[in-house]
Amino acid sequence: MIAIVFVVSIFLLRQSARSPEYLSPLDRGILTMVSPIQSAFATSARSLGHLAGRYVDLVHVRAQNEQLRTENDRLRAELLEAKRGAAESVRFQRLLGLRNSLTAETLAARVIAIDVSPYFQVARIQLDRGENLVQRGMPVITPEGVVGRINRVSGDTSDIMLSVDPRSAIDVVLPRSGGRGILKGKPGENGYRCAIEYLMQGDQAKVGDAVVTSGLGGFPRDLPVGRVSKIVRNSAGLIQGIEVTPDVDFARLSEVLVVVAPAPPPDPEASVRRPLAPSHGLAVYH
Amino acid sequence: MRSLATLLVGLLLLLLQSTVMEFAPVHLVTPSLGLLVVLYVGMATLKWAPGSAVMVGFCLGYLFDLVSGAPRGVHAFVFASVALLARMLAWRLAVRGIVLKAAIAFVASIVAGFLIVVVRAQISPESGYGGLAQAPLEALLTAAFGPPVLWLLARLDGRLDPALLRVGLARRRARALGHGIPHR
Repeated sequence: MIAIVFVVSIFLLRQSARSPEYLSPLDRGILTMVSPIQSAFATSARSLGHLAGRYVDLVHVRAQNEQLRTENDRLRAELLEAKRGAAESVRFQRLLGLRNSLTAETLAARVIAIDVSPYFQVARIQLDRGENLVQRGMPVITPEGVVGRINRVSGDTSDIMLSVDPRSAIDVVLPRSGGRGILKGKPGENGYRCAIEYLMQGDQAKVGDAVVTSGLGGFPRDLPVGRVSKIVRNSAGLIQGIEVTPDVDFARLSEVLVVVAPAPPPDPEASVRRPLAPSHGLAVYH
Repeated sequence: MRSLATLLVGLLLLLLQSTVMEFAPVHLVTPSLGLLVVLYVGMATLKWAPGSAVMVGFCLGYLFDLVSGAPRGVHAFVFASVALLARMLAWRLAVRGIVLKAAIAFVASIVAGFLIVVVRAQISPESGYGGLAQAPLEALLTAAFGPPVLWLLARLDGRLDPALLRVGLARRRARALGHGIPHR
C-alpha cells in the first residue's frame, strides 16, 4: 500500500510538471466543496480580526469613569466602523477608478486566501460573477500595481501566481532609462522580492527607479510594478542584476481586478484626415 | 470512520492555516497545522497501521495542494514521506512531554520544508532551491502549535478508537442493565 501511495504521488508530480493547470473532475469537486468553507473562514477571520483590533483600542480607557467610558466606547466603535467603512469605500473607489481608466475588460474579485504555503507564492480569489470568463494566464492587478497571473481556475475560485513567485515572468520597463527586462520572483528571501532579468548594462538603473509594465503579455501598459531596491553590476558581463520591491503589499491584498480581455490595439490611422472619396450609388450633396 | 474523521479534522486545520494569517503579526509564515496531523498519525504506532498513516498523509497533502494552489502531488508526496519517516522514528523513540513533542514538530517542519523545496525544484526548475530561509520560522511556529494540536488529536483519536468505542458501548449497556437491579 505504501509503495502504491508513492507511485501515485510520483505520477501526480510528473503530471503537474507537464500541465500545472490541469485539474481532474475530482479536484474540481473537492474545490467546489472546500471554497465556500474557505471563504467563510476568511470572512470570520476578518471579522474576528476587527473585533480583536477594537478590543485592543478599548483597553486603555478602562481607567476612566463609567459614563465617560460608555460614551467613549460607543463613539470609538462608531468611529472604527466609520473608518473601516471609509477605508473600504476608498479601496473600492480606487479599484473602480482603475477599472474605468483601463480600456481592457476587467472583473473584480475578492481574495479569500494568500500564501498558504511559504514555498509557493499563490493567492486564491473568488469571483462574484463571470466565472466562465477567467482563464489561465490572465493578468491580475490592483490600483497599487501588478499582482500576478491566473494560474488555475475552478468554478468561481482561481489561484493567482503572484509576481513574486519564481515561476512568474512579466515584461517590464524602467521609464527613466527606457531599459527593458523580465521581472521574476526571487526565491529564498524573507519578504516579497523580485528581480529584473536580462537588463543590459547600458540601461543604467538607479535605486528608487520606478518599474512599470511594458504592455506585453496581457498586462495594461505603464502599470506600476515596484521600485528598484538593489543593483548588482557585473563588470565582466553584459547583464546587471536588479532587485525590485513590489508596490503591492501582498499580505494586505483584499480586492483585485482580473483583466479578462486586453485593450484593443490603437488605430494607427486615427489621427489621419482622409479626403472624402466619391461614393457609389449614394451621392454627397453640397 | 476514524481515517475520515482525521481527514476532516486535517482539512479544517488546513483551512484554518490558510486564514489564520489574518490574525498573525507575521504575515509571511503560518504554522503547518496539516503537517501536525500527519505527524500524529505517523507517530501513533499503536493506533495507526503504517499503510493507513501514509495514506492519510497522502490524502491530506493532496488536499493541501488543492487548497494552497501548489502543483498537485508536491505536498501529497512530502506528507506521505513525513508520515513514513515519523513511523520509522516512532519505532526507535517514544515521544512524551511537551518539549519533545515541540522538538519533533520543529524537526518535521524543517524536513518537510526541505523536501518541498527539493521536489519543487524537480518539477519547476526555474524555482530553484530558494525559500528555505523561511523554514526555521515556520518550524518554530509549528513547534509552538505542536503540543496542543497533538494532544487534541490524541483525545479525538481516543474517542474514535473502535476498540474503545466497543468497550464504551459495553459499559453503557452494563450501566443501563444495572439500573434495573434493585439495591439491597
